Amino acid sequence: MTDPMPGLTGPRARHGSTLGQPLTRRDGVLKVTGAARYAADNHPPGMLYAVLAVSRVARGRVTFLDVEAARAVPGVVEVMTHANAPRLATDPDEKTNPFAFRLNVLQSDRVRFPNQPIAVVIAETLEAATEGAERLAPRFDEEPARAALDDGEVFTPAVVGAGSPADVAHGEVEAGLGAASHRVEATYDTPAQYHNTMETHAVVAAWDGNRLSLDLPSQALAMTQMRLGQLLGIMPGDIHIRSPFLGGGFGSKAGVSGPQLLGIMAARLLGRPVKLVLSREQAFGPVGHRAPTRQTLRLGADGEGRLTALHHHTRTATSSFDDFYEAASGASHSLYASPAIRTSHDAVRLDTGTPTFMRAPGEAPGSLALECAMDEMAEACGMDPLAFRLANYAEVEPMTGRPFSSKALRECYEQGAARFGWAGRPLAPRQMRDEAGLLVGWGMGTATFPALMFQGQARAVIRADGTGLMETGAHDMGQGAWTALAQVAADGLGLPIDAVEFRAGSSDLPDAGIAGGSAHMATAGMAVHEAAAAAIARLADLATGDERSPLFGAGNAGVVARDGRLVRRDDESRHESYADILARAGVAEIEGRGRAARDPAAGADYAMHAHGAVFAEVKVDPELGQIRATRLVGAFAVGRVINPRLVQSQLYGGMIWGLSFALHEKAVVDRRSGRVMNANLGEYHVPVNADVPPMEAILVEEHDPYVNALGIKGVGEIGITGSAGAIANAVRHATGTRVRSFPIGLADLLA
Amino acid sequence: MLEVDKDRARHAVQPQHAFLVTLKVNGEEHRLNVDARTTLLDALRDRLHLTGTKKGCGLGQCGACTIIVDGRRVVSCLTLAVMNQGKEITTIEGLANGALHPVQQAFIEHDAFQCGYCTPGQIMSAVGLIQEGRTRSDDEIRENMSGNLCRCGAYTNIVDAIKDAIAHGLDPREAMTQAVEAIAQDAGREA
Amino acid sequence: MRYFQPATLDEALAIRRGNDVVPLAGATDVYPARAGRRAWGDPTHKDVLDLSRIEALRGIEDRGDHVRIGALATWTDLIRADLPPLFDGMKRAAREVGGVQVQNRGTVVGNACTASPAGDGIPNLLALDAAFEIEGPSPRLVPAEAFFTGYRATACGPHDIVAAIRIPKREGRGHFVKLGARRYLVISIAMVAAALETDAAGRIVSARIAVGACSAAAGRLPLLEAALPGAPLTDAPALVEPRHLAHLTPIDDIRASAGYRMAAALALVGDALADLSRPAARVA
Repeated sequence: MTDPMPGLTGPRARHGSTLGQPLTRRDGVLKVTGAARYAADNHPPGMLYAVLAVSRVARGRVTFLDVEAARAVPGVVEVMTHANAPRLATDPDEKTNPFAFRLNVLQSDRVRFPNQPIAVVIAETLEAATEGAERLAPRFDEEPARAALDDGEVFTPAVVGAGSPADVAHGEVEAGLGAASHRVEATYDTPAQYHNTMETHAVVAAWDGNRLSLDLPSQALAMTQMRLGQLLGIMPGDIHIRSPFLGGGFGSKAGVSGPQLLGIMAARLLGRPVKLVLSREQAFGPVGHRAPTRQTLRLGADGEGRLTALHHHTRTATSSFDDFYEAASGASHSLYASPAIRTSHDAVRLDTGTPTFMRAPGEAPGSLALECAMDEMAEACGMDPLAFRLANYAEVEPMTGRPFSSKALRECYEQGAARFGWAGRPLAPRQMRDEAGLLVGWGMGTATFPALMFQGQARAVIRADGTGLMETGAHDMGQGAWTALAQVAADGLGLPIDAVEFRAGSSDLPDAGIAGGSAHMATAGMAVHEAAAAAIARLADLATGDERSPLFGAGNAGVVARDGRLVRRDDESRHESYADILARAGVAEIEGRGRAARDPAAGADYAMHAHGAVFAEVKVDPELGQIRATRLVGAFAVGRVINPRLVQSQLYGGMIWGLSFALHEKAVVDRRSGRVMNANLGEYHVPVNADVPPMEAILVEEHDPYVNALGIKGVGEIGITGSAGAIANAVRHATGTRVRSFPIGLADLLA
Repeated sequence: MLEVDKDRARHAVQPQHAFLVTLKVNGEEHRLNVDARTTLLDALRDRLHLTGTKKGCGLGQCGACTIIVDGRRVVSCLTLAVMNQGKEITTIEGLANGALHPVQQAFIEHDAFQCGYCTPGQIMSAVGLIQEGRTRSDDEIRENMSGNLCRCGAYTNIVDAIKDAIAHGLDPREAMTQAVEAIAQDAGREA
Repeated sequence: MRYFQPATLDEALAIRRGNDVVPLAGATDVYPARAGRRAWGDPTHKDVLDLSRIEALRGIEDRGDHVRIGALATWTDLIRADLPPLFDGMKRAAREVGGVQVQNRGTVVGNACTASPAGDGIPNLLALDAAFEIEGPSPRLVPAEAFFTGYRATACGPHDIVAAIRIPKREGRGHFVKLGARRYLVISIAMVAAALETDAAGRIVSARIAVGACSAAAGRLPLLEAALPGAPLTDAPALVEPRHLAHLTPIDDIRASAGYRMAAALALVGDALADLSRPAARVA
């Protein structure tokens, strides 16, 4: 891969650069003072409040809504139902692209899942709108709900996840199983999970003629703008979306949701700005979730503990009216060497909201099942779990034979195991107790996540005063985009970070690509990097082509951008400031545009993944089955780290999600009604502070020249993978009981 | 047992739907008409436009709306505005005085937040916690910060930030005083 | 919604007689309950009777032979009150109610009046032989065992207001253990409150033990209470037998199965007695 701007990239330390420095968040002061403005914090003049009424049935028709009673509540302005909701320019059931999920926005009386919106009450106050919604007293023509994985007709979807084939095979799995000395077949169940971002989905919509102004938290500004343009029949460019901060996204805010569109429609209907915010329980349905899975793994191993075959099959569920399939088997594609690997999926249709991407989609449940199955096989082979994984270390991507662009997993195993003290682990389960008599167990799991990249753009400007501006429509849902991208911008522009104005989080900026797939830093970061390089190249042209400049004749490759000056590489005494270059040229500012995309050749030639190893200690009360994670150590090789402080936070967050996956999170679905019985934060358990043990996340050095010029692999999701499995395996080691249904509950461990 | 005074009981208070209330927030008095149903959280956000206090669940199950009322941390979603007349209400907006409060500063330094949505509640809760003096061990901090959910998973850094704020001389007894003084000075400047 | 905010108990009682109102003290249970009903399409439109301005209902008072917990006393008030070791279990329970933010507003009396089978305060009230001061058309003192009449049902009538709880002062120590699926902010799967009095030789003089979340309403364990007196305190955990809990009728719900609840309750009773046989732990 060619370096786009020799002299501006590479691992070489550069004076003044903040790349690799643990800067604190540039939006920190806003966030700790309450000044950071989230969508629902906006309040344009004349604004009305909209409150949803939602269905309590899973399938059927709305037969009655007491609209008169709702209208009679003082302050209620309008009740929007399927009878009077504005029709849309494009059918919201039309699949304009695979990521445009079908939306339920009062275009008919049909109910397709519990908590589907059935009306919107709009009022002068939140209290009036809330009471109006309660007065609707809906009646339904109810049909039986299909609620569980056994309730539907099984079929094989065309594609799973973001478009991967449902069934992929390499080698002869059945022959490999037949020839094996040890065989493991095990089935693991994972439940439906809901994103539960702390900020529920919200919108503040204001129309001005055919122009639409929105405060709407978005992980995909450009995609959302495009979709809304189609649905509303207006030009995407006439829609302005502000999304400076998301109160968490985790995949659920990648497109516009039905409820948010309803807020926009209500504003259209009434000709006044409208705010609509989902209640917590309403967020269990119309804004996506992670589908349940039932995964069956069949493994064979020879006498030396080397895999002879690996078959990972996933059954999952989608909604009755749309398609998204949790690609859990994909976790087995690239991690362990085996001469025969097959990954397959099938699915049923249920009366739920459509599932969607949720932090480590596919990989999170898939890694959990795979890591448990690997431990079961290690035990069958009589081997230490780490030794067994090392015996099956993939030197090349097993299904394709491609080399890895980089892979420091061995170092992750070594550093993580050393830090944790893995060497002292007894092989047999139920061997360790603490001073209070609690059972102690140690488990591990391998972490992996693909190093993805999307397409993105950025615009850089160097101004007459020598300062810089960088614009990209990037999204900060907590990863730290405001800070890390500014670091890349400052580095690329050769300016101190405070001399760069960084703009993001708005749809009128260049499309930074979606914030998903752990790819935002690679995508937006490379766009910023390229834009900066383009601006500097133009500046260098101005200087080196002008005989009045001390840099005259140096040529583009002959200067370095540093601290607001271009410096001649072969003679550092010759330099000129940006301001002087621009002033002499009589130019007010110069602009550079950058585009980011994976280099197609590198993408075809190399397998690109981040890796890691997680080690967990748990303690289990032998009488009550109560489980506590007491120690978590992860070591991760994730390519170039732009800001270790932020990366560590991302990894901690992922590891806590892994803990939550293994021990806490579960939507309890009532088999008869299809409703989520614990649709609140009191009973849908995510860990509280006291559930979280002391943690460490070691950053293992890794240089990757192929993923992108910055060497970034992405860190947002990998922390979940490995962690959930490590905890499940530690529970087995503590108790001798292998639990295959998640989350592991108290009662599962009582013999 | 208390005797029921039959005479007085006849002069029963009349019910009301709307109230003119005076809320004392961050040292400043606000007179506003509120609906009887209006929670203190909604009054702060929608009426006084103090939107730093966040709504995460409306049921007291997440802690995002934590504020301090009469020196104690409470969830503002589970109390009606009308019940809080005359009380000293402190929100995240009232905590800094030119310089950040030590807990705010420590949150930044320890990266004790990611998306930032639960952060105002975490910080107000931490200020309350330090004043309560329940910070004698990591476990005690974790337990007493467990009323504040963080979906991003910043818990470890939150504990470190709280310890750091204390280590850097934030006296438990002064945690609140410092906040209250900051508010008084702010009020003075504006006057 | 109409809203009443009387300044005296008399006014409050008059309002209660003339209107269908829900009394509200700390308000921390009422709102979740309303939202829960709304979620299932069954909203309540009851008017609200706010007791929070009634000075006579405040405070925790030592009245010589009993401690009186006013209807407005919060969990935090209880935690901070200077009370004998008998109240240690109640203080422990107080620290398990929601987060500290809820403990600062939620009231002991309110928790009892909502009478959830999983109400954290209720087993202690049973174990401590609490009595409820009910004001209303016929003022009376109702013992805890008669107060909790069933699932979310109490002896407090539609025209009544619970003004306070009285807990008789006795020798001995109280204790409380709770089991939930996460460390805090959790609804109990099972919980046990115990109050034991011992003599100078370390023998049990009297035992009062109650289990919550394992029946429609929390209840005492009379068979075990009868079996313990005379035994050395250190032997107490070993004396717990399944038959002592046989009258409990736990249910399957989303938190746990009936079978697990029963097993857990048995283990928790043993744990509570074992804890009590050790030197007093700090409770604050």
